[in-house]
Amino acid sequence: MSSTRTVIGAVPSDRVITKFSQAFHPDATPYQKVNFHPKVKAACQENRTGRVGLKITKAVLVGDVSIGKTCMVNRFCHDVFEREYKATIGVDFEVEKFSVLSIPVTLQVWDTAGQERFKCIAASYYRGAQVVIVAFDLTDQPSLHHVTKWMEDACANADEPIKFLVGTKKDLLSPASYAEVEKLAVKYAKRLEAEFWATSSKTGENVQDFFFRVMCLAFDCALLRELDTEKPASKQIGNDLIHIQRSQSDLYEKKKRGPKCCT
Amino acid sequence: MDDPSQNQTHNHINGNGDWPHTMNQIFNEDESHFKSNAILPWDQFSNWIHCACVVTFDLELGQAMELIYPGHIKLTDKEKMNICYLSFPDSNSGCMGDTQFHFRIRQCPGKRPLSRSHSQYNKDCPVSLQLDDAHYYGFVYFRQTKDRTVRRGYFQKSVVLITKLPCVALFNQVISIIAPEYFDNGEPSLEAACHDIDQWPSPVPGDTLNLPIMGTVLQVRVPCRSDKLIGSVQSKSETLHSLPVHTVLPSLHEVDIYSAFLSILPHVQLLWELVLIGEPIVVMASSPTTTCLTVQALVNMIAPLKFCSDFRPYFTIHDSEFKEYTTKTQAPPPVILGVTNPFFAKTLQHWPHIIRIGDMGSIGGSPKLSNKVKKAAALKTLDSNPGVYTRYKSFLTKDKMILKRLMKGAQLKRPVEAQNAILRRHLLELTQSFMIPLERYMASLMPLQRNISPYKGPPKLRPFDSEKFLESVEHSGPQLTSGIKGDWESLYRRFFRSPNFEGWYHQRQREVNQKLQILHLEALSNANLSEWIADKEEVEIVDLILKIKDKLSFAMHHHHIVGKESVSRLQKQLEDIVLTLPHDLQSVIKT
Repeated sequence: MSSTRTVIGAVPSDRVITKFSQAFHPDATPYQKVNFHPKVKAACQENRTGRVGLKITKAVLVGDVSIGKTCMVNRFCHDVFEREYKATIGVDFEVEKFSVLSIPVTLQVWDTAGQERFKCIAASYYRGAQVVIVAFDLTDQPSLHHVTKWMEDACANADEPIKFLVGTKKDLLSPASYAEVEKLAVKYAKRLEAEFWATSSKTGENVQDFFFRVMCLAFDCALLRELDTEKPASKQIGNDLIHIQRSQSDLYEKKKRGPKCCT
Repeated sequence: MDDPSQNQTHNHINGNGDWPHTMNQIFNEDESHFKSNAILPWDQFSNWIHCACVVTFDLELGQAMELIYPGHIKLTDKEKMNICYLSFPDSNSGCMGDTQFHFRIRQCPGKRPLSRSHSQYNKDCPVSLQLDDAHYYGFVYFRQTKDRTVRRGYFQKSVVLITKLPCVALFNQVISIIAPEYFDNGEPSLEAACHDIDQWPSPVPGDTLNLPIMGTVLQVRVPCRSDKLIGSVQSKSETLHSLPVHTVLPSLHEVDIYSAFLSILPHVQLLWELVLIGEPIVVMASSPTTTCLTVQALVNMIAPLKFCSDFRPYFTIHDSEFKEYTTKTQAPPPVILGVTNPFFAKTLQHWPHIIRIGDMGSIGGSPKLSNKVKKAAALKTLDSNPGVYTRYKSFLTKDKMILKRLMKGAQLKRPVEAQNAILRRHLLELTQSFMIPLERYMASLMPLQRNISPYKGPPKLRPFDSEKFLESVEHSGPQLTSGIKGDWESLYRRFFRSPNFEGWYHQRQREVNQKLQILHLEALSNANLSEWIADKEEVEIVDLILKIKDKLSFAMHHHHIVGKESVSRLQKQLEDIVLTLPHDLQSVIKT
C-alpha cells in the first residue's frame, strides 16, 4: 500500500519543487502570490526552517459521490487511471513526499467518501486540515451546486485552510461546453474564496500541476506562520523521554527566538 | 439521484455477514485493487486486528454482542460469551463515564496456525512481543452514562478490538480514538476506522510505521529482536528519514510500570522474582483499568525474557477458565490474574501471592508505601489496604539504592516518564544479570565447528545440565554484572522448574539446531561429494541423496536464513550424484 511505499527514503525526482507553481486561472484565485515569500526563501537558503522540514500538510478531498476524487489521487500518487468505479469506504489515505526549495515536506491526502452515510464521521477526518479541496464533476451540474455545503462542512473543522475548487473529468467536455461550465465554476470559486482548477485524471491534464500548487501555497503559508510565531508542531503522547522530533536546525531556531522582532 | 455506489459497497462489506459471496468476486476485487499488495481486501486489516465488536447491555440477555465487524469474521459462541462478559466492569463499583482496559482470552478451538505475515513478525520481533496462536487480546472502551430513555436508566456499551498482537500501548491509543467516534456517530465510524486500519502497512519488526486513523496519523516503531536493549532506542538517521506525523507513540507495547507499582514500590524486586520463577499471582483492585495495568507491568518486568505462562489482565467469575483457575483441589496454576470482583478475595484466598492496589487517583503525589510484606492469611480479615500479601522470602537482598532513587525522584516531582525509564532500566539490568550466565553456558553447549562433517548427520546441541551450570555460577555468575547479593543459586533452581525457563530453553534450542543445520548444509554443499561416492555402495549413495533432499526441504522452509548460493550448489551436487546412478534407479529417485 501507499503508506508502505512512502515510509522511508529520499524524495523522488518528480516531487522536487524549485519554482513557485502558478494558479490555473489568474482570475479565479484568492491567492495572488506568484513567488515564495522572501522570508521563506531566505529561511530555506539559510536552512533555518525549524520544524517545517519535519512538517506535514494535511489536505482533505471532499465532494459528491462518484465525481472522481479517488481517481485524481491515484493519477497523482500512482500515475494510473482506473475505469472501474469503486466506492471509497470511509476515507482513503495517501502520503506524498516533496522537496520544496530543498526542504523535505510531506502532503497527506485524506480522500473521503462522498456517500451520505459517511457524512457523520467526516468531521473527525477534517480536523486540523490545512488544505481543503472540494471537487465536482464538470459534466454534472448538481455536483457543482453542492460544493458550497461541502466547503462549509470541511472548513468548520479545519484550521483557516487554503481552499480549492476542482472540476474533474475535463476530457469529457468539448472546449465550448467546457467554457460554459468554467464561467459558472469561477463564480462559485469566487463566492467560496477558493482557487479554481479543472483537471482530467484520465489524461492526467493539470493533475500534477494542481498538487504542486497545493504544496507551494501550503509550504509558503506554513513556513511564514512558523517564522512569525512559535507554535508546537507535534504532540507527544505516552511515556517516553525521548523526543525524537527534534532536529538540529530546531535548536538553532530556538536560539533565534526570544523577543519577537519584525524584519 | 440514484447512488451508484450502493451496489459497489456491497462488494466490500456486508453487515449481514455473508461476505464474500463468491471466490470469483474476490478475484475481481483483487484485480481492481491495484494500489495494494494485499491479496484480498481485509488482509492488511487482519495483520493488525481480528475484528471489532460492540457489546451492549440487553435487559433480557445481559451483556450481548451487538455487532462484529468486518461481518465475515466468525467467533465461536464461547469466544463471544467471554468477550461479552470481559467487556464490562465486573463489580458494582460504578464505573460512570468512560473506562478503558484490556483482557486476554483463549482462542477456541485451541490453536489455529498463524498467518504468514504473523509468522514473519514472530521471527523478527523480540520474543516477549511474539503473538501466540492460542490467545486473543481484547481492548475495551466502556461507556456508562445516565439515560432516562433506557428502561434501566443507564446507557452501557463497549467497543472492543480483538487482536492477537500484544501491542498494548498502541491499541489502547487506537481504541480511545475509535470508540468515542462510534458512540457519537454509530456504525459508519467503525466502518471507516476499520478501513483506515486496512490501509496500515504490515507490522514489520524494525520499521517505523505511519498508521492513519480517523484523520490523524500515529507513528510508532515496531521493536526488533536485534535492537540494542540499553542505549539509544533509535538511530538518528532513521529518525530523520521517517515521516513527520501528528502523534508519535513512544512505544508499541510498554505500559507505565512506575505508576502501576507506585503503591507497592518497595516490593518490586520481590515481584520480579515471583514473576521470573512463574509463581501464581493475583492482582486485586477496584477497577479493571488498574488490574490490567498492573498485570501487564508484572509480565513486562522480566523483558527481554518472555513470560511463558498464562496471564489475564482482567479476569471475571464468568470466564470460561474460572473453574480451572480457582479450584482448591489442586495447587494454584502458575498464572497471573487481575480481578475486581470482591468475591475473589474469598475464592482466591488460598493463593500464595496477592497484590492489592488501591485507587490510582493519587499518582503524582508522594506515594504512601506499605513497606511491610503482609502474611497472606491477613487477607482473610478482608484487609483491603494496598500491599503485597505473601509468605515468600526473596532469594536476593533488596536493592535499596533503586528505591531511594525513585523516592527521591517522587519528592523532586521528577516526571513519570523519567521514573519509568529508571525503573525499567533497573529491571532490565537485573534480568540480564540473571540471564547472561545462562546464555554463556548455553553457548558452551554448541558443538565445535570442526565436528561438523558433511558425511555424518548434523551434530546436536549437548544437553543442559543444571548442576554443571550452577558450578559455573560460582565463579562467573550474576555477581559479575550485578551488585545484588543473595542466594542466586536457589533462584536459578526455582527458575529451572518454571515455564519461563522451559520457554527460553526451547527457543534457544530451536535457534541453535537451526544454526547447526545451516552450517551442515553449507559443509555439504562445499564437500567434494562425487569423490566421496566413488567407492560407495549404491545404498549409501541413495542414503546421501535422501539426506540432501531433506536439507533442501529445510532450506525451502527457512529460505530467509539460508544462503541462496549454498542451496543452488547443493542442488547441483544432487543432480550430479543422481546422474551417476543406473537409469531405472534415477527415475525412482526423481519421483
